[in-house]
Amino acid sequence: MRESEAAVLKKSDVSAFFGSLASDMRLIAPKEAFGGDVIFDAIESPKDIVWDYGHDIYPPKRFLLPHYEEMFRYDCRGRIHIQPAPKPSPQAIIGIRSCDISAIRFQERFFTQPIVDPYYKDRLDATVLFGLVCTKPPRRECFCICCDSGPWLESGFDVQLTDLGDRFLYEVGSDKGAKATEPRAYLLTPARSEDFAERRRLELQADSLFQTTSYIAKAITYISADEVPDEVWEELGSTCFRCGACTNLCPVCTCFTVDDVENTDGTFSRCRSWDSCQFSGFTREASGHNPRSAYGQRVQRRFYHKCSYQYIMRDGRHGCVGCGRCITACLTNLGLPDVVKRIRRAMHAYLEPETKRSEV
Amino acid sequence: MVLTPSKPLRMWGVTDSPSADLYVPMIAVIEDIIDETPDTKTFRLRFEDDEYAQSFSWEPGQFVEVTVFGAGEAPIGFASDPAEKRFFELTVVARGKVTKAMHAMQKGDRLGIRGPLGNCWPLEAMKGMDIVIISGGCGLAPLRPAILHILRNRGDYGDFWLLYGARTPADRDYKYDLEKWAKRDDMHLLQTVDVADENWTETVGVVTVLLEKIKVNPENAVALTCGPPVMIKFSTIELLDMGFSEDRIVTSQERYMKCGVGKCGHCCVNHVYLCTEGPVFTYAQLRALPEFRL
Repeated sequence: MRESEAAVLKKSDVSAFFGSLASDMRLIAPKEAFGGDVIFDAIESPKDIVWDYGHDIYPPKRFLLPHYEEMFRYDCRGRIHIQPAPKPSPQAIIGIRSCDISAIRFQERFFTQPIVDPYYKDRLDATVLFGLVCTKPPRRECFCICCDSGPWLESGFDVQLTDLGDRFLYEVGSDKGAKATEPRAYLLTPARSEDFAERRRLELQADSLFQTTSYIAKAITYISADEVPDEVWEELGSTCFRCGACTNLCPVCTCFTVDDVENTDGTFSRCRSWDSCQFSGFTREASGHNPRSAYGQRVQRRFYHKCSYQYIMRDGRHGCVGCGRCITACLTNLGLPDVVKRIRRAMHAYLEPETKRSEV
Repeated sequence: MVLTPSKPLRMWGVTDSPSADLYVPMIAVIEDIIDETPDTKTFRLRFEDDEYAQSFSWEPGQFVEVTVFGAGEAPIGFASDPAEKRFFELTVVARGKVTKAMHAMQKGDRLGIRGPLGNCWPLEAMKGMDIVIISGGCGLAPLRPAILHILRNRGDYGDFWLLYGARTPADRDYKYDLEKWAKRDDMHLLQTVDVADENWTETVGVVTVLLEKIKVNPENAVALTCGPPVMIKFSTIELLDMGFSEDRIVTSQERYMKCGVGKCGHCCVNHVYLCTEGPVFTYAQLRALPEFRL
């Protein structure tokens, strides 16, 4: 966006600003939960927002693709009556990180092309994303800098906030963002050149603070060409616990399963809930035949989806936003950067001439 | 000529249905139930809404998501004559939760139907060619609309070979059709079973042994296959050996599916969603997917 369109929101006005926004929509923001963890949830008052929260392990994707979502409800006692699920009400996700916004844009493309998923689209249309830039990487596992998804975004956000100490730089990135800003614009002041100078200084500083990096490009080459030997996948798969944490905590993953659940009043709800390609039941057919029965095949599946040229062509980007959650969640080092590293190492050994290897 | 499976004229969710209905089924009534084998039944269905029933059209190879209210949803291929506008039929083996519940249903009961979904057999592009259809067990069901279409427009196609394999003579679907087809002199029907009974006069063995008995010129022929994965695999190997080119071996691939519209991720093989880009593929297309390598 152009610098002239940016504004400044003083921290002393933050409560008034989001208090006013709360009259238009439900506010979702990082807040302290039981036990001291910070998670995204609906807040009562802007005072509940934890602005310096670092990084949440449970991504806010669940406000667009709920963990458990009713698609419609039906009554099949007597004449069948189908009742569509109610339309979602407006919400703002405040303080969402750039990696998670990038993931939502990825999901938006997936869920609207070529066939439009009405539930995801309705929720996204009713959601305003107030991004909060990480002026320093909140955790050592962060590597958005390698994934074109942060720390600052050029586009994709509705509003992007950068913490400049006593004030936020306030950038509007979409019509939806402009619409949500307009009634409260009197609380903003135009940004001055020193605000941008400070932002640039923070950008340069942040870039140097990343502790995790991942050279995904090479892995993409090997995976796309199907050159990674099955033994490498088998070895990776042999350590997997099939817990599904990587895919459930991934802000990009979208796979779901569908079930008809009986309600206490005798009606049924058709519900969709998160599923994981790491579970053996994911591809098991009614006959018992399972085309992806080996653990290695399922790990391969996950990384083919994240890191293959074929998916980049389809989705417009590779399927990792560098949030680092899979690194934190995996008990056996099957986080994306680790696997990328192991694939590169294995391929290096594999492609090395026979003579050279025997000398070692 | 390079053969690629056809895109349907109407595709659920893209062109002909309002997006709000993408996951919401339409109500259909069971008009008749035909027992095929001990574990297979054919359900004759008609939409409750007359206007919708009349506008509903589909093409051979496509499928629907069937809702058994109170049990869930399952993908089932069309199995009837596509020219028949009054009703359509689905042939169902009782295997999982939904299909078992479906088998317990009676004439007059109501089901939910979402579709038509997926692409279709390339029947237009196949005109003028000799046709070999290889099917195993309940794999005959998604091919039956194509067979009925070919027989209805017999003059458009060359020599027609239908090879069908089943576990036992009693496990064959559409015995009433097979009887009629065996009597026709404008097609060749070859059948085989794994285990014969005392009345069985035809071949015993796997379906690929029938391929040795046919006389076709692969230059101007196309093979359609559907059946268990192992049957498809060995038929493909055999057909390639016979000289069929990779784009003339056409298969309907089935996987565990939930949504049918390319969103749930279950049927995705490499980067291809079988439900929207398939289920019909040529071997030339499948070969590009490492998961389908022979």
